[in-house]
Amino acid sequence: MTQTAGAPAPTTVATAPATPAVPAPAAASARDLTEDVPRLLNRLQVLAVAACVLFGALAAILQVLSWQANGRAADNTEQVVRVQQIQSLLLRADAVATNSYLVGGLEPAAARAEYDESIETVLRLVADAAEAQPADRRVLADLNTAISSYTTSVAQARDYNRQQLVIGIAYLNDARTAMRSDVLPITEALADANAERATDEMGGQSPLWLLLAGAVALGALVVVNRQVAQRFHRRYNVGLVVAAVIVAAVTLATAWHAQSEHNDNESLQAGEYAAAVDAASARTAANNAKAIESLGLVNRGSGESVYEPLWQDQAEIVRDTADALTLMDWEAYVEAHAAIRDADDGGDWDAAVALATDTADGSATALLDQVDASAALEAETNGAQAAEGFRSGGSFSLVLIVVTGLGALIAAFAASRGIGTRRREYA
Amino acid sequence: MRRRLAALGLGLVLLAGCGGSDDTVVPEPEAAPAAPAAPATTEPCENDGSQVASYDPGEGSVDGAAVERIRERGRLIAGVAADTYLLGARNAGSGVIEGFDIDMVNAIAASIFGEAEGHVELKVITAADRIPFLQDGTIDIVSRNMTVNCTRWQQVAFSQVYYAAGQKVLVGSDTGIETIEDLADKRICAPAGTTSIDNIQTIQPDAIPVSSTDNSACMILFQNGEADGVSTDDTVLAGLAAQDPYATVLKTDVLSPEPYGIATNSDDVDLVRLINRTLEQMRRDGRWQESYQTWIQGPLGVAGVQPEPVYGR
Repeated sequence: MTQTAGAPAPTTVATAPATPAVPAPAAASARDLTEDVPRLLNRLQVLAVAACVLFGALAAILQVLSWQANGRAADNTEQVVRVQQIQSLLLRADAVATNSYLVGGLEPAAARAEYDESIETVLRLVADAAEAQPADRRVLADLNTAISSYTTSVAQARDYNRQQLVIGIAYLNDARTAMRSDVLPITEALADANAERATDEMGGQSPLWLLLAGAVALGALVVVNRQVAQRFHRRYNVGLVVAAVIVAAVTLATAWHAQSEHNDNESLQAGEYAAAVDAASARTAANNAKAIESLGLVNRGSGESVYEPLWQDQAEIVRDTADALTLMDWEAYVEAHAAIRDADDGGDWDAAVALATDTADGSATALLDQVDASAALEAETNGAQAAEGFRSGGSFSLVLIVVTGLGALIAAFAASRGIGTRRREYA
Repeated sequence: MRRRLAALGLGLVLLAGCGGSDDTVVPEPEAAPAAPAAPATTEPCENDGSQVASYDPGEGSVDGAAVERIRERGRLIAGVAADTYLLGARNAGSGVIEGFDIDMVNAIAASIFGEAEGHVELKVITAADRIPFLQDGTIDIVSRNMTVNCTRWQQVAFSQVYYAAGQKVLVGSDTGIETIEDLADKRICAPAGTTSIDNIQTIQPDAIPVSSTDNSACMILFQNGEADGVSTDDTVLAGLAAQDPYATVLKTDVLSPEPYGIATNSDDVDLVRLINRTLEQMRRDGRWQESYQTWIQGPLGVAGVQPEPVYGR
């Protein structure tokens, strides 16, 4: 049955606070003659409930997306560190292989073991990387192929060198060409892609969207309250007020949390994340420099004119990206490198080779090992801290998501009850 | 209404589930910028035989400014190869660069200083470095299987010819390739930018040219089955064949003559005269023949004859 607005206003108020009755304006009185109030209340009830539910759903989704974004930022950070570790280890293996070539036909067992260990670690990291990021799998498969081609050339160079055949140097150069033209472009693309993903995900917090969703929901509740107030001479509907308070509280809490996460992410990005990336870059450049130093001696007489400028390029990267402790080790290595170059440039190639291949404490190789270890530790520690930082706050986020959902349901229930009360009054 | 809300909720949940990343793409390597056209520093010329003429050591000083400069420095700086077995190659066991070309350097240093020991600095250079390094004074001489021709005479000076090499072809043993005609449809590698491939195609137009960065890189292609043969100077091929028991140099006439000379800066005429005098001394005392027999005769399989000097500049 449909009732018209001409019916008398209810005389009792169940839940509404004692608010002064407001006379309806004349125009409203004229409209009241034809208005279907129960139907209107039904619609307003749907609108209020929908506003609360939609707000809850949207706020929960935004929080889930943000939570997931932080998780992915952590995953991508780990992938960046992993890929840069692959790059560093490959260049370290290359430096060891090139340096070993200087020693002569019989490669030192320790150098061979270090090369093998580096390559084995690289292959395991490639498998880990493929498991961690499906979007990298196709390129990682190409990387595997390129690494295989590189190691094959190194093995052939080693075999020929052991037989003291000079074609070995051609295979060594072939390996280095494969490293620079095939392997490193892939690792650089992987590092860039994952760094971009990590950075994108770090900006995945959405306080403004949460505020906007809350504002829209509150606006809807205000409109509903106003419509109800115009017809029942009560300024506030308790149910709607309760719903609005809950929506406002949830909005403020979630927006505050999102902003807090956003600030934390910015801090991590500029702090531990940047430190990890820089340390890995320094490590890569340092190992590249050592390989270039050896290559300058392999190509006897061309070290100063051809290879030293390339070495200086890598040195500049190290100086720009290494942390203070690593830089101290690096400067010690730079002095040892200068001694090697002085000997070679002075025409004493044998002395230069002896300095470059010496592994005793204080030698160029030992000092470079210290640089490598220091930068590796810095990259690993900061990478882990950055990833942990992105994942921290996850439990609170999940609690807040549940609270958002429950709050929205309670708000919807309160709004529904508030309007339901008016409907019963009207009946 | 419930259905609508349920559908909306489901859509939002599905939206939340989205989070996959685009596949990683490795950018194409940037094309190397086109090298600016080299200024025309040489005039077209014809190798009519006069290009092998050098400076007569008996008609001028062998102790001028260039030789004095080297003597004051205390060492002769020579641009050499370190990967050309038999001519200039690093001995993997001793680390010493040795070969026929290195013997020439040591003989020249001995002429200047009385002995070579302690008076030679070897710089390993690429083929492309040879002329620029001579012109800017980085090195005093080039002893790196460098062919004398009229174009290069416009940029540097040459000694008399110290070895008459010629282009030949290396192929796999027992592959049925025995003549130039057999090279039809075969992939023959030569260093990019050389005339070797042109010479092959002139004689066997059906051969398939393959280029690589240098002779050793061609040998890698050959050993990896990506080329059926390598074509370059016979001395270089002899060195490559000596390192691979499954390779042999075709016993054919030379496809083109490649007379080797020791190059200097164009202004160092006194040094060229000294080098020519040294080569003649090596002819007389048998050092040239001894060096040839040590390095080249065995792998090449033919007795060596030092070219007669031609003077006239």
